[in-house]
Formats: sequence, structure tokens, C-alpha cells
Amino acid sequence: MSALAHVAGGDPDFDPSGPVPAPTKRSWTAYLLLLPGALWLGVFFVLPLVQLAAVSLQSRYPGFPGYYYRDVNFENYASALTDYAPHFARSFLYAGLATLLAFVVAYPLAYAMAFKAGKWRNLMMICVVAPFFTSFILRTFAWSQILADEGWVAGTLNFLHLLPGGNIINTPLAVVAGLTYNFLPFMVLPIYASLERADPRVIEAGGDLYANGFTTFRTVTLPMSMPGVLAGTLLTFIPAAGDFVNMELLGPQRGKMVGNVINDQFLAVPGGYPVAASLSFTLMAAILVMVFLYVRRFGTEELV
Amino acid sequence: MAGFREASGDLQLESVTKAFGDFTAVDDIDLHVPRGSFFALLGPSGCGKTTTLRMIAGLEQPTAGRVMIGDTDLTGSRPYERPVNTVFQSYALFPHLTIKDNVSFGPKRRKDKDAATRTDEALELVQMTQFAGRKPAQLSGGQQQRVALARALVNHPEVLLLDEPLGALDLKLRREMQVELKRIQTEVGLTFIHVTHDQEEAMTMADTVAVMNKGHIEQLGAPAALYDLPLTRFVANFLGQANTGVGTIKDTDGDHIVADVLGTPVKILKSRSQVLEGEVLFGVRPEKVTVSRSQPDGAGNDVKGVVRDVSFLGVATSYLVDMPSGTTWSCYEQNLDVEPLDLRPGDEVWLTWNPGHAFGVPVDET
Repeated sequence: MSALAHVAGGDPDFDPSGPVPAPTKRSWTAYLLLLPGALWLGVFFVLPLVQLAAVSLQSRYPGFPGYYYRDVNFENYASALTDYAPHFARSFLYAGLATLLAFVVAYPLAYAMAFKAGKWRNLMMICVVAPFFTSFILRTFAWSQILADEGWVAGTLNFLHLLPGGNIINTPLAVVAGLTYNFLPFMVLPIYASLERADPRVIEAGGDLYANGFTTFRTVTLPMSMPGVLAGTLLTFIPAAGDFVNMELLGPQRGKMVGNVINDQFLAVPGGYPVAASLSFTLMAAILVMVFLYVRRFGTEELV
Repeated sequence: MAGFREASGDLQLESVTKAFGDFTAVDDIDLHVPRGSFFALLGPSGCGKTTTLRMIAGLEQPTAGRVMIGDTDLTGSRPYERPVNTVFQSYALFPHLTIKDNVSFGPKRRKDKDAATRTDEALELVQMTQFAGRKPAQLSGGQQQRVALARALVNHPEVLLLDEPLGALDLKLRREMQVELKRIQTEVGLTFIHVTHDQEEAMTMADTVAVMNKGHIEQLGAPAALYDLPLTRFVANFLGQANTGVGTIKDTDGDHIVADVLGTPVKILKSRSQVLEGEVLFGVRPEKVTVSRSQPDGAGNDVKGVVRDVSFLGVATSYLVDMPSGTTWSCYEQNLDVEPLDLRPGDEVWLTWNPGHAFGVPVDET
């Protein structure tokens, strides 16, 4: 092949077999630089994880709520998968809907920022990031005001007879709305980054090669921004699936998400630690499997 | 293909102007490019050549004027409605598609039944068949350049636009691709419009060169004609090297005008001078100047100068000579004799040239 390339006048020095290999000589500097991060992760991530795994296998002392002993008891996991299956389903449904909605809102926004905003681009960027200057809890409280029965949103919708139930607050709709809002910047920024990095000439080339505006978007712009879309959906879905604040502040009394169950089992139910721990692990595993399948299906070589 | 405009024939720009706010990038140019010719738009950056190209492609719309192919007016139509394809300076290959899918992009959009065959043929033409399954990032610059060319050629456009297509390649590869491009153009017989700031590239490849400056076409013609007889000072300096001097026309001598350059009379053929009275900028190309130790006799123009630098190039020797006017002339002498002149810096020499080889242009403009 390379002999042919020479005949073809290709660059004879170019080695198509891959990127230039990194220098093989390792220096201690690299390890030294890794040390603080590794220590942090070890103490505050790996150790608690091991601890949590141990707790998830413990058993309760019958008759003594709040007391448990070390064991290898998989019943907690059985309970997590059966008793709390509806909670898992709701978590993934609401997180999935919020991710979809965030994508629908974020893509046009990111597109406008990358290609149409001109001098307004920085201002738009500030507007996207500005909510981070306020606490997550406060913002969610604000949404409970916005969506309250006396608020203008519910009022307008009721006036137009578009709200069958009569209210938004304390419904799954409010939860999805809250999740969508809270995680929107995590969707906008990666998509914006990948669109902004795209060479405008490549998009022009689509037009030059007989693709009209929509076809160019479908066959060139959107595929080129897929790494950003992938990162954005993951950054939205993963935290949304484990979130409990939005359900707590905006959601109904019954029909909670798995995050709320974990929260309650840890803090409210005496002796709930093993169940809470096993629920946490089950959630983690479920998300890992879903992310793995998702990335295998839609992933590209380079994330973001 | 709703809106696609079939068109065939010569490319014509009629009084085309493009303004961006207060800045006029292209100022009322007329251009006629015969079908099947290799046409170069040559000029420094910012001269309006790329804007002109983008207006032909439909990526910009002219502020005034018309873009025509044959009898079809393409003004106002979108890029995808035009039988015109572009090879972009940065190649602009689709990074998410394989080489094959990049090349078949155009034919597929046009619902061409022979898309696959034509793609194979185009890859064959640029000798990239063995890379069909690769992604653009896995290719070298030269290879990407070939793919960009194939991706445009596969559509058999009526006009192919090349926007500094060789700019990113190193010198050796660029020379190879120049020959290759010329071969392909001859083979497919399409109209090529080549935008470049490299005068050598324009001269080696194009049948016709238009030299652009500040939104205007300064001069248009065959490369040899532009080199031999530039009509403006800009063309004289931009295309190749020119040894120049400023004089005042004092007299005529038959077919010649005689200009006075700091006391030395310099003759220029009337037919080769754009100015016949007043101030004139005369010029003569380095290879048309003869260097000798003693004043030669004859009807040539001759001036005495001092050698500043001598470079032996093998086939030729290049001299830099300081002239009495304060300018430095460059002279290029073929090494026809085995006994060279053996000149050293500081030596006094006589420079001679045939009055028929000089040209005269107006002084004023830069």
C-alpha cells in the first residue's frame, strides 16, 4: 500500500498506520502530578465505595431496628430489584424525558450560539452559565414558585383549559420540568463546543455538493456534533437519574424516584442502611450498563 | 433536485461587485472564461480573488452584477443549485465520513444511479482507491487534497473552483500536484478556476491569468504575455522579478521613446510603453540583462553599476548589482561559457539590455 502511495505522489514520509507514538521514557513527574488526585479519589471515592459495598451485604438483627451485622446477604439486592422496581422505572423514565427535552431545547440554542449569535455569543454564554452562581436547591425552590397553582404558568394553562389535572406542582410533569431546567447547561455546553469547533467550510461544502440546508444539517452538521450530543446526554441523564431534589421539592407525595428512596432509607428509616446501599449499587450498575450500550451504539472514537 | 439549474458554456461575470459594509471586496469586474480552460485568479491576500470565487460558487451573493454560465443566469441561486463545485483551501472533507462516502456525497445528493461507479472512477483518477475505507484524519495533507479534488470532480461540474488548493502543501508536493492538476484538467476537459497568490503556480498551470489587486482585475492574459509585457506597475512587480527605474520622457527616436534616468538615456519601444510622455517607470526582466566588464558597443541600453552579490546556481549565475539610481538590480546569466566572468562584490560592471525587451508603465500607482 505504501509503495502505491509513493507512485501516487503521496507524502512519502507519512505513516498511515497511526498517530506518532508517545515517547516511551516515563518520568516520575507524571506520577507525582497524579498523586494528589489519586489520593483524593482513593480516600473519598474508592474507600467509601468499598464501605458501601460491605454495608449493602449486611443483615438486620431481627427485632432490633437500627442494628445490623456483617454478612454476605444478597436479599437486600433482591428487595432493591423487586420492591423498588417501580422507583427505578420512574427514575429512568423521568431522566430520559428530561434528557430528551433538554436536547430539544439545547441543540437550537447551541446552534444559534455557535453560528448565528455574532457579537451576542458571549452574552448568551453568560446566560447559560449564570444559573450556576445560585444554589441548585434555591433554583429548584424558585421553580416550585413558578409552577405553583397560584403562579402564572398554571394560571395561563388553566385559563386556556390545557391542564387536565388542574395543577402542575406536585406532578411528574413538574419533576421533569425541574430536571430539564437544572441539567440544561450540561447539555448546551458540550453541543456548543462541538459545533463551535466545526469548520464552517465543511458545512459550506455540504451546500456546494448539492445538499440543501436541511440535508446539510442532517448529513453534515448533526453528525459532526454527535460527540457533543453524546457527552451532553450522558451529563444530563446520569445525574438526573440519581436526582432526588427535584422530586422532593416539585414532585407528588407518592410515586417517588429511586434517589428519594435511597435518601429516605439512609436518613429516615431505622436500619435502612443495607437497603439504601444495595439500591445505590443497583442504580450505579444499571446506569453503567445503559451508558455502555448507548456509547456502543452512538459513540465515536473521541468523546467530546 | 428541486431548483437545480443545468447550465453549460462559458463562465461570465458581468459587472460583479461585492461590498461588505463599507469595504468593497470586488469592484465591478467583468470576466469571460471560455469553457474548458484553466483560468487563474492571481493576487495578494485581500485582493478579492476568493470573494470572486465564492460568488461563482454561490457561497456569497454579489451586491451588483450577474454570474452566468452559458445563457443561464445563476445570480441569486444557492450553491446546491449550481453546476459548480469547489475544492476548499482547508479541503473541508467531512470528518465523520470515509473517503468513499466523502466522494460519493455529491452524486448521492443528486440521486445519481451510477454513484458507486463514478465514485470509484474519481478515486481512480486521483489514485486514492486504496484509501477508500479511511477517514480523512488518517490521511496526509497531500492525500486529503486529492480526495477533495475527487469529491468535486466526481460531479462533473461545469466549472470547478480551486481555492488555493495547494497552499497547505510543502514545496515538493506542491510542484507534483501542479503537474497532476494540469493533467487531470486536460483529461476531464472542465473549466478550472484556480485562485492563488503564488505567481509561479498560476503561470505554470493556467492558460489565462487574471491579476487582481484591490478588487479590480489589473491585467488578464496568457502567462507569457503578462510576464513579457505588464501594463501596470503592480503586475510588473507581482509577476516575477522586474528591474525598474523611473525616468522622464525627453525624446523619441524612431520607434522608441527616450527617457532620461538621472542623466542616462534609456530607450523603450513605443509599442511596449503605456506612457509616451512625462514620467515613465521602465522595467526589464533579470534574464534579459547582460552583465559585462567593459562597456559593450551597440544600440542597447547600458548602465554602469557595482556588484553587490554573486550567487552561482549551476545552470546560471545570479548577480545583484547596485545601480546609480540607488536601486538594486537582479541579473540572471546562463553559464554558457566554461570560463565565467569571475566577478566579485565591489567590481564595476556594465549592464546592457535590448530596448525591445524593456517595458514602460505609469509611475503613479503602487
